[in-house]
Amino acid sequence: MTMDQYAETFREETLELLSELEVGLLELEQNPEDVDVIGRVFRALHTVKGSAGMIGFDEISQFTHEVETVFELVRSGGLPVTGELVNLTLAARDIIKEMLDKNLGGESVDPEIADQLVAALRGLVPTQDDFSANGVAEAEELITSESEEATYHIRFRPPANIFHRGIQPQGLLQELSRLGTCRVIAQTDSIPRLDELDAELCYLYWDIILTTEHDEDRIHDVFIFVEDDCELKILPINEDLLAQSGEGGRLGDILVQHGDLSRDDLERVLQAQNKPKLGEVLVQAGVVTGAQLDVALEVQAEVKRQKQKREAVEESSSIRVRSEKLDSLVDLIGELVTVQARLSQTSAGQDDPVLNEIAEEVERLTWEMRDHILNIRMLPIGTTFSSFQRLVRDLSQELGKEAVLVTAGAETELDKTVIDRLGDPLVHLIRNSIDHGLESPEVRHKAGKPEQGTIFLSATHSGANVILEVRDDGGGINLNAIRERAKSRGLLTSEMETSEAELINLIFSPGFSTVGEVSSVSGRGVGMDVVKQAIDSLRGSIAVTSVEGKGTTFTIKLPLTLAIIDGLLVQVAGEKFVLPLSAVEECIELSRQDVASANNRNLIKVRGEIVPYLRLRERFRLNGKPPEIEQVVIAEAMGQRVGFAVDHVIGEHQTVIKALGQMYRDIKGLSGATILGDGTVALILDLPPLVQEAEADERILTDSVH
Amino acid sequence: MEFLTFKLDGDEFAVDVLKTREIVDLRSVTKVPQSPDFMLGVINLRGSVVPVIDLRLKFGMEKVDAGQSTSIVVMDVLVGAEKVIVGAMVDSVEEVMELDESQIEPAPRIGTRLNTEFIKGMGKQDEQFLIILDIDRVFSTDELAMVQGAAEQPAVAE
Amino acid sequence: MAKKIMAVDDSATIRQVLSFTLQGAGFEVTEAEDGQDALEKLVSDPPDMLITDLNMPRMDGIQLIKEVRQSSWGKFIPILMLTTESQEAKKQEGKAAGASAWLVKPFKPEQLLAIINVVLL
Repeated sequence: MTMDQYAETFREETLELLSELEVGLLELEQNPEDVDVIGRVFRALHTVKGSAGMIGFDEISQFTHEVETVFELVRSGGLPVTGELVNLTLAARDIIKEMLDKNLGGESVDPEIADQLVAALRGLVPTQDDFSANGVAEAEELITSESEEATYHIRFRPPANIFHRGIQPQGLLQELSRLGTCRVIAQTDSIPRLDELDAELCYLYWDIILTTEHDEDRIHDVFIFVEDDCELKILPINEDLLAQSGEGGRLGDILVQHGDLSRDDLERVLQAQNKPKLGEVLVQAGVVTGAQLDVALEVQAEVKRQKQKREAVEESSSIRVRSEKLDSLVDLIGELVTVQARLSQTSAGQDDPVLNEIAEEVERLTWEMRDHILNIRMLPIGTTFSSFQRLVRDLSQELGKEAVLVTAGAETELDKTVIDRLGDPLVHLIRNSIDHGLESPEVRHKAGKPEQGTIFLSATHSGANVILEVRDDGGGINLNAIRERAKSRGLLTSEMETSEAELINLIFSPGFSTVGEVSSVSGRGVGMDVVKQAIDSLRGSIAVTSVEGKGTTFTIKLPLTLAIIDGLLVQVAGEKFVLPLSAVEECIELSRQDVASANNRNLIKVRGEIVPYLRLRERFRLNGKPPEIEQVVIAEAMGQRVGFAVDHVIGEHQTVIKALGQMYRDIKGLSGATILGDGTVALILDLPPLVQEAEADERILTDSVH
Repeated sequence: MEFLTFKLDGDEFAVDVLKTREIVDLRSVTKVPQSPDFMLGVINLRGSVVPVIDLRLKFGMEKVDAGQSTSIVVMDVLVGAEKVIVGAMVDSVEEVMELDESQIEPAPRIGTRLNTEFIKGMGKQDEQFLIILDIDRVFSTDELAMVQGAAEQPAVAE
Repeated sequence: MAKKIMAVDDSATIRQVLSFTLQGAGFEVTEAEDGQDALEKLVSDPPDMLITDLNMPRMDGIQLIKEVRQSSWGKFIPILMLTTESQEAKKQEGKAAGASAWLVKPFKPEQLLAIINVVLL
């Protein structure tokens, strides 16, 4: 339905009301004090104004409002019905009619006439009421000024009869939880004994610790319908609040501040305190409840956290630098690293102790500087996280799911470039979790789960890597559906035996999706394969585990930085290549006999296990014959062990990555280039696409499995 | 307008001097596997990795061994919407010369060895013709972004 | 099953806007023209939620809310009152009668749905 159709309804309705208005006004001329008729006239105006406003006929709405205001005064006895009033109102009725015709394509109304009429109507009103106060103000959109995150302690005690107003406190708490990270503690100390309990009354009250980027007004908005009748305290939690004390605010002070504990009770208990934990003593003494203590402890923890955060911010709050400047600094250090490598190489070839010493010193300084510069580019991932709150909220609404996002490790640092390029894949995974992972509230309810599903997003450091996790407590991945799908797509034959892990990883295959119909959210033509590609391009890996009925976990492993990798330098047909060392497991010699004994198939035995390998010489169509004894670099790619046969392994090499650029964007199997100590350029291999291509060509995967 | 001129297989070519960055001697080029022959590979230009194309092969001329005067003209080229630094290998670099608008004629439809799409116009100086190249066109994405399959030829090694 | 909402307003335009907005959001909607009409329809088939205008002929919104709250079936159902009057008195009267929430006309469809989201679990 469109506005046009509303307009048609509105026109019919308004014409009817206008004739009612006319009849009413004529009646009033005869009986100026007939309250019923005054009511009818008022209501007709009122309805015209309301309806016009609803469908955006603002001119009619505003004009009618002026007339209505006068009649409201009449209705309340503040103004008598006079001949003049009736005349003016009749004229106003005609103007409304004209405006209606105009909106539906008729002649436009002379605004001067309308203004004059309004002025004349206002002139009838004795006291200067505020005419401009239009009832619209309150319906102003609830747009909030987004600001920095703050934490609030909210005490919400609804009126006992809240149920009789048709309001469920859970709804309000749920709405609150959409504003940010929320911890809710229910206080049960007001529940009476069972024989005194009235099941229709609400005895609970709640303490909520909410960390949100919305302001206090937005929190008030959640409670707008109950605020007048309930006890609502919203206290920002900050350090100043409890500045004087050491351990993030003394527990006793917090409880007193909440009104849960009187200063006298505190003093009394403190005197009796013999240095065990105050909280326990207070609970034992029966002056506060366990739940009240929980709240105070939570607040205490929050204050501590804020203090740490502030200190962290202070540490890093010095200057802002454009990221381009950092990028050029990284480029420069890359060049320096290259030059330094040449210096080391040159000095090593000469028996000059002074030169050697200088070269070593330069090497040390260069690496130190490199580490510092790369460190500057590290940013906490938290900024990305917070934008997902909104995403989860909007998506779950769109999909009729109930979901909350819980995040951890927002302070984990990653290279800016990695963070920038991580956004899309993470959005996709979260969408996927809400769309395919979480069940509908009804299904969850039946399964005995809370109706609200949880998406858990976390980041942690692990050596030179960062581990990201996207976990949901949904229905898990249906392995049978994957199996069927894979068979229908020819990814799997019925004879093939596959482990659960192999099966589940098929979701990363191009074009794979188990959901029959395409939903508007996840089904935008982007599948898990795109997520995998994005992660691969960041030189990371992604894995998935799932427990049916319990949920799914995606684990992403990423390098801390994209600018530099540890590589293994190899040589094939005179050309040098670099393999990312993180993927390399070991190197093995391959003799002609080995090749012969494997019937010339590209398979090699690595401590009893058969590993397929591919020849870089063949892959890259390089000339020349391989040496008698080749080297096979065993690496992990695409979740399996694969060998790469090369002529020589030169050694480990720390490498500054240079992009190959736009002109080589379609070349697969290379992730970039690097400049070697001798000034020549070596290409960096991108293993997964190489393996994928080889698989496509030769099906080495299936050969090896059987 | 100023132009940089260079020779390829006897013919003289010109590019807008504002497009050029520098001229460097031929140096060690790393071939990128699975790219077409005319894409020579990448070089190290003071720490940057710069792609180089062999203009002879690009224009369908015969391949010759590099000689004394073989040079690489490093240019700023628009590939799609992106500015890219690219090197073009030429037989020899000649000079920088000034040409008036009046000395430039539109490209002939026929009669040249190369794709007229690459030609901006013909310059005339001392009875000698200069082929003025539209260098962005020469390096246009469609031409260069190749599919894997395009690289059937054996690649250069050693 | 879709939740049922009854929309009560003497304006056909507003009823239409309500119906369309709510149906679009997946609700089942019944309409009534005023309090009297609503009450008659409600008794036989109580909805999950009631949206009512205040100023209506025959029986106004306040009276309707009172009647519903006194019934056995309507004690706890969420009631959203629509009003063009921002005056406190009317709102207080509605709240005292047992309205769950209010919305000032003219409103946008998103505002209506947002409130329903809070009030109608």
